[in-house]
Amino acid sequence: MRYFSTNNLEVSEKQGSRLFQRSHLRLNWILHLFLTLTAFVPLLLWGCQEKGKQKLPCFLYLRLSSNPTTLDPSLIVDVASANIATKLFNGLVRFGEQMEIEPDIANTFEASPDGRRYSFHLKSNVRFSNGREVTASDFKYSFERILNPQTRSPRTWVFSRIKGAKEYMEGKEQEVSGIKVKDKYWLEIVLEKPFALFLQFLALPPAYCVPKEEVERWKTDFSFHPVGTGPFILEHWRHNLTLKMTANSDYFGNKAKVKGIIYRIIPEDLTAVYEFYSGNLDLLPVPQAEFKRYLTNPQWKQMMKGVVGLNTYYLGLNCQRPPFDNPIVRQAMNYCIDREKILKTMLEGRGILASGPIPPALLTDVKKDFGYNYNPNKAFSLLKKAGYPEGFEIKIYQSSDQESLEILEVVQKYLEKVGVRAQIIQREWSSFMEALNKREADAFWLSWGADYPDAENFLFPTFHSGNWGAGGNRTFFKDTKIDRLIEEAQKTIAKEKRFLLYQEIEKRVIDQAPWVFFWHKKDYVVTQPWVKGVKLYPMPGVDKGTAVYIEERQ
Amino acid sequence: MFTYFLRRFLILCLTLLGITFVTFMLIKTLPGDPVQGLIGERAEQETVERIRKELGSDQPFVRQYRGYLKFIVTGDLGTSYYTNRKVVDDLKAKCLHTFELAFAAMLFASLSGILLGTLMAVTRGSILDRLGLLISAGGISLPVFWLGLTLMLIFAFLIPLLPPSGMGEGELIYLILPASTLGINSAAYIVRITRSSLLEVLSQPYITTARSKGLTKRKVVLKHALKNALLPIITLIGLDFGSYLNGSVLTETIFGWDGVGRYAVEGIMRRDYPVVMGTVLVGAAFFVFINFLVDLIYLYLDPRIRVRE
Repeated sequence: MRYFSTNNLEVSEKQGSRLFQRSHLRLNWILHLFLTLTAFVPLLLWGCQEKGKQKLPCFLYLRLSSNPTTLDPSLIVDVASANIATKLFNGLVRFGEQMEIEPDIANTFEASPDGRRYSFHLKSNVRFSNGREVTASDFKYSFERILNPQTRSPRTWVFSRIKGAKEYMEGKEQEVSGIKVKDKYWLEIVLEKPFALFLQFLALPPAYCVPKEEVERWKTDFSFHPVGTGPFILEHWRHNLTLKMTANSDYFGNKAKVKGIIYRIIPEDLTAVYEFYSGNLDLLPVPQAEFKRYLTNPQWKQMMKGVVGLNTYYLGLNCQRPPFDNPIVRQAMNYCIDREKILKTMLEGRGILASGPIPPALLTDVKKDFGYNYNPNKAFSLLKKAGYPEGFEIKIYQSSDQESLEILEVVQKYLEKVGVRAQIIQREWSSFMEALNKREADAFWLSWGADYPDAENFLFPTFHSGNWGAGGNRTFFKDTKIDRLIEEAQKTIAKEKRFLLYQEIEKRVIDQAPWVFFWHKKDYVVTQPWVKGVKLYPMPGVDKGTAVYIEERQ
Repeated sequence: MFTYFLRRFLILCLTLLGITFVTFMLIKTLPGDPVQGLIGERAEQETVERIRKELGSDQPFVRQYRGYLKFIVTGDLGTSYYTNRKVVDDLKAKCLHTFELAFAAMLFASLSGILLGTLMAVTRGSILDRLGLLISAGGISLPVFWLGLTLMLIFAFLIPLLPPSGMGEGELIYLILPASTLGINSAAYIVRITRSSLLEVLSQPYITTARSKGLTKRKVVLKHALKNALLPIITLIGLDFGSYLNGSVLTETIFGWDGVGRYAVEGIMRRDYPVVMGTVLVGAAFFVFINFLVDLIYLYLDPRIRVRE
């Protein structure tokens, strides 16, 4: 019996090339098939190449990192949804280029001297995309909708100061008495108490005008089939993939200069960078990992634009328990960290140093000559004075994010130098927030971004004792004097006087140091050479997308 | 034979029930609050309480679980807390996308794996064999994340042949990069197991008999040896396919593929309980079902099992 062996010469084989006698070199048909397939595939792809790259002419291609959760103005809580909704809807007023209040659907508006009564005269012939004209009662409907418990809106605070709002929310009244439709194009709003920021609230997404018949028609699906008055109309939305909106040719304001915008949902930053390089995206918010490369690349450097965002990054200190219940200790923390160095080296200078909680753009005419510098000796002596010559141990909580971790590791080293031994605890977002609200953290790394462009937004939610926990004051800070000053500022309509109050409050807050104030981060975008007219705003939910246009496309 | 099926089916149902319970228990005991993600960073305490009540988070555990089971029986997997869309609707589209990706990846992996593995077994000890072992070791060790981005760099950017990411309008060309990324790891394992399984079969006496009967090498390998070597290969393919059907969050994130993996992970991050329960249930069902199919294929492939049963 002949034993089978792969290395034998197979004389009985009829097929196969004579050239390859040895079996391990013989090209049998399996190998043939394999090689044919691998050769064929690139040819197939070459033909398909053009199809994959087609872009619609005169459309702007932008990136979103996640699917917008909703486009219903009453439910929006995230940045992506706000940025899209502002292109589909309008309110009574809007923010202009310098973040000042401008008319939107309201043609003229005035406030009574006591700041309680507001009167709006609407433009006529403003239409929803279903063709119907907007009237004052549409605004009454839209505003009451936010306060209606059935809507489940998390933004009731925008309208809760209106007279009769509380009664309506509690179900005691059928309507909000403070919202009055005086005429077809005349709306009047009365507040319980004077509130200086009310007009700014009216420029926010919850105050956009929605058509009653469409809301009732779509019910909860209105989130995915929004109908508004905006410069763009949603054409179609493939969830988690693309969102397409086309320019509204009947828009009452400055019409869009592009035919439409297509948002591509690309979760991974580096993928977005490749898409941008390939020309598939027209504008890219620069991810931190790529920042240095763009900054030093002569070609792309010119195409980069930056704006200091209305935000403050900080290390929050739990003011309700030792060691941070002592303001001297909190001040020491501010002195012992060289934030300027961290900003320069780790963030490549992508921001400006924060002397206090308020971004400087919001207090322009006010001099800032106070704040903490890097002074570890002073920090050490303050700690000694407070009774901690040996330092102490703390836990710093952070939501799982690589960049923040790296910053905190450096902070840890600075703290060590004055005897503070810090342990960094990473939690993913949901449990991080829960831990904060439960006061588990001694310190935590967080940022506060503006809801509206006023310094009050960086004082009231964050430092007023009425907002402990989910309201924004996560350090559980309480100072009755600061509380009263904030309340007074909210009632002060005159801008200069209010700004002086803000300055005083900020000074006190810096003195009390419930936060270690780090920086205000700068946002950068890079655009393709054919994209022009891009305007950057320091806040999300403001850009209506009507200024940008596209020159001849590659 | 019938009792074999019935037994397998009953085990399938019990497994699924057990999975729902364990998952439910796990996610409810995790720290973290679904309400936080729903309200943003600034909300009044009453709003938080109201939403918590609506979600039923304040109810006792057993009642919540019972309520959920009732849901499933009616075919309704609940509504996402976050997106307010029905989980069933979301899953329909995403499962299809994931199936596309999983199927393409497995097709690529199986074809190339079995092909290369057969070649390697047949030319054992040659340069091809050694090279193949090296490549497959690489395929097993390369991390998916790195592989995906590197393939994207090469084929979508350096040589602009393929689109970097996205699903386009469903054109096949968008499937190539993600399917290759996902499939390479599986292909590497299949190569190795094909090679070893085939080698083992080729050393059997009946193969020698077949050759000595005068059958060509090709016929022996393909018709007799491979078929008998397929058992462990099919098991591996079944396991990998089942796991791909559960979604591959890394590949889906890199290539922006709208699949079940990303959906599930985002649901977990946000404590979106209906989404998590829905995806786990559907994923487990797929997995268990695939294994059931594999058991059936065993019956066909291996007469010994037929006789035993």
